[in-house]
Amino acid sequence: MATVPPAESPVREVQLSALVVMRLIKHSTQVWPQPATGCLVGMDVGAQLQITNSFPFPASNPDNTTGNPNATNPADPYHQADQLALALAAPRAKSSVAYQNEMIKYLREVNVDAQGVGWYVSCSMGNFVNASFVENQAFYQRATGEQTVALVFDVGRSSQGSLTLKAYRLSPSFMAACKENKFTTESIQKSNLRYQDILIELPVAIHNSHLLTSYLHQLPTSPTADTDLALPASLNELHRNPHLASNPLAPNLDNLDLSIDPFLEKTVDQLLDSIEAHQTEQNNAQYYQRSLAREQAKIQTWQLKRKQENALRVQQKQTPLPEDEWQKLFKLPVEPSRLEAMLVGRQVEQYARQIDGFGAVVSGKMFGVRGNLLPGEAS
Amino acid sequence: MGDSHNYLHLARPLAPAPIATSQSSVTAPVSVTLQPQALFSIIDHASRRPADQERVIGTLLGTRSEDGTEVSVTNCYAVPHTETAEQVEMDMDYQKRMLDLHLRAAPKEVLVGWYATSGELNTFSALIQNFYSQQGEGTFPHPAVHLTVSTVAGQDVEANTYISAPIGVTAERAADSCLFIPVPHEIKYDEASKSGLELIAGARDRDDRTQLMQTDLETLEHAIEQVLEMLERVSNYVSDVLDEEQQSSTALGQFLLNTLALAPKVDAEDIERDFNNHIQDVLLIDLSNRLATAAITMGGDTNVAGSGGDQQKQQGGGERGGERGGQRREGGGGQQQRSGQAGPGGRRGEQ
Repeated sequence: MATVPPAESPVREVQLSALVVMRLIKHSTQVWPQPATGCLVGMDVGAQLQITNSFPFPASNPDNTTGNPNATNPADPYHQADQLALALAAPRAKSSVAYQNEMIKYLREVNVDAQGVGWYVSCSMGNFVNASFVENQAFYQRATGEQTVALVFDVGRSSQGSLTLKAYRLSPSFMAACKENKFTTESIQKSNLRYQDILIELPVAIHNSHLLTSYLHQLPTSPTADTDLALPASLNELHRNPHLASNPLAPNLDNLDLSIDPFLEKTVDQLLDSIEAHQTEQNNAQYYQRSLAREQAKIQTWQLKRKQENALRVQQKQTPLPEDEWQKLFKLPVEPSRLEAMLVGRQVEQYARQIDGFGAVVSGKMFGVRGNLLPGEAS
Repeated sequence: MGDSHNYLHLARPLAPAPIATSQSSVTAPVSVTLQPQALFSIIDHASRRPADQERVIGTLLGTRSEDGTEVSVTNCYAVPHTETAEQVEMDMDYQKRMLDLHLRAAPKEVLVGWYATSGELNTFSALIQNFYSQQGEGTFPHPAVHLTVSTVAGQDVEANTYISAPIGVTAERAADSCLFIPVPHEIKYDEASKSGLELIAGARDRDDRTQLMQTDLETLEHAIEQVLEMLERVSNYVSDVLDEEQQSSTALGQFLLNTLALAPKVDAEDIERDFNNHIQDVLLIDLSNRLATAAITMGGDTNVAGSGGDQQKQQGGGERGGERGGQRREGGGGQQQRSGQAGPGGRRGEQ
């Protein structure tokens, strides 16, 4: 379900090499449940971004960066949150940028494409839309060339059987708003920015080199038609047949699994969390509105009083008091940024899409099984 | 790829310099597990090599089991080197620096050996092997694993793994001679890589070697097609056996019987009931999902607009409130009080 990127966008589709896919999978599954972040290198060919290699970012050391005395205590819950935030912020950390530059310099010597074209992050069941994500991507998109994407690999869904790898860019309207760094009500109204507009999804394709293709043809899938398979003499022999035993390209039937509870439950849990976050944002906005209203009311009364006083003084032939002292006496509350609310909205939409897709697949499977199990039903 | 070969488990010969405590682990046989991403990386490097070089080399990183008998290669990187008829040169600074960088990102990995993209073993291989096995910079006291991947276009890609023992009559000859002992290796595709591998392999039969990402439904369709094809083959075989056109096999029959017996035997009513419950759950979640999205859309828009339309918001909030748990307040969309501020004629919530 990729939204069509606007025609003037510098990048319109993404092509990955098989190597990047495998490395991504490996890194993400290794450090799960921590998010895995890393850099992508490749080349842009016209409107197509070709990603040919990737490398992970080193995990930042919390002791150095936070100075929090509790950071070394693993039992401290704050430590956990800090680690997560640190891991997510790795792509834009200064140490990571230095690491990236050095890596690219060395990779160039062995003929690997030496242009950083983006970064990747792993998530679980789609929970990647947060402030860190947009900040990272904004950081990359602000850099030279602007041809960068963020690749998101979903560990939870991929373990179900179908690889879930998506590419995102920030929309130009959102980038403009980011530049001003103002997300107040008026600025959003002016730019007409809705939460759906934050991210643009790009279509992803996988591309193999010739050598890799010949290797893939080599991998055993099924015995060719002319191999003479002798009929097995016993049940044991069947189980031990080397043609059947370890077959990397055997049909992957994990996604025919009927159990829905774990994944659906997790997604709905996260959806509820997002809705609660949304609620909190709403409350904040309302609180601001209310306090603003209160302050304004107070200012009004004060101004009224001042006017009356002045009228009296004019009558008594005294100099009137200044009327705009209220600016010094009353402090208007600062409007909280609306960015978080928009991100939460986008996150909810992400979960909604996942549940949609999931529901479709599960319904199909269930009707299929039902048709099979019920006797006499037309298949 | 090495599974069906038989290997002699030799005790590895000791290096000439006496190893003081002579732990038994040092002489234990070694077996190597190769991860697909390392192999793909090597293949990629081979296709990127400079035009004038026949083979390129690089370093292998991975993990070693406690006693050193099992080595798992999880990562690798290329090292530039030049090779002429008389001498070979390797950029050792590069190797050190890259090792540093890689270990920063993956602190659990260690240097386990090196690879070359051609199957031959010659003096230069021995030299490089000794470099990698040495004390200090190399893998001492563990043996350095040498992986050769033959990448001749048009032929099979063949991987071989070796460890080395020093051999040579004099000290000078020992520096560039090596006895390479083949060790068993296996390419392990773990669960997570399977889905990726399937997608990658899907591109191999197409001309442009490209494959788009597939949605869940497409993957499901593909899997069902494969199962149907398999069922077709089996049922053809069975009808052939019944028509006496094919030889029957007791083992196959037994296997099929076992498999078919796995289908559960339940009453039709139970099936209906369970099915209905299950599908109702799914549909309910789908519905509440859509309500949540609609509510958030409306809530977001009307909040930003700051306009009236309290009723709309209350509706949206109320629907969402009926979802789960009684914690949600009515009118979650919120009421906004505005005093003297003239709100702009805002947009109504769009759906």
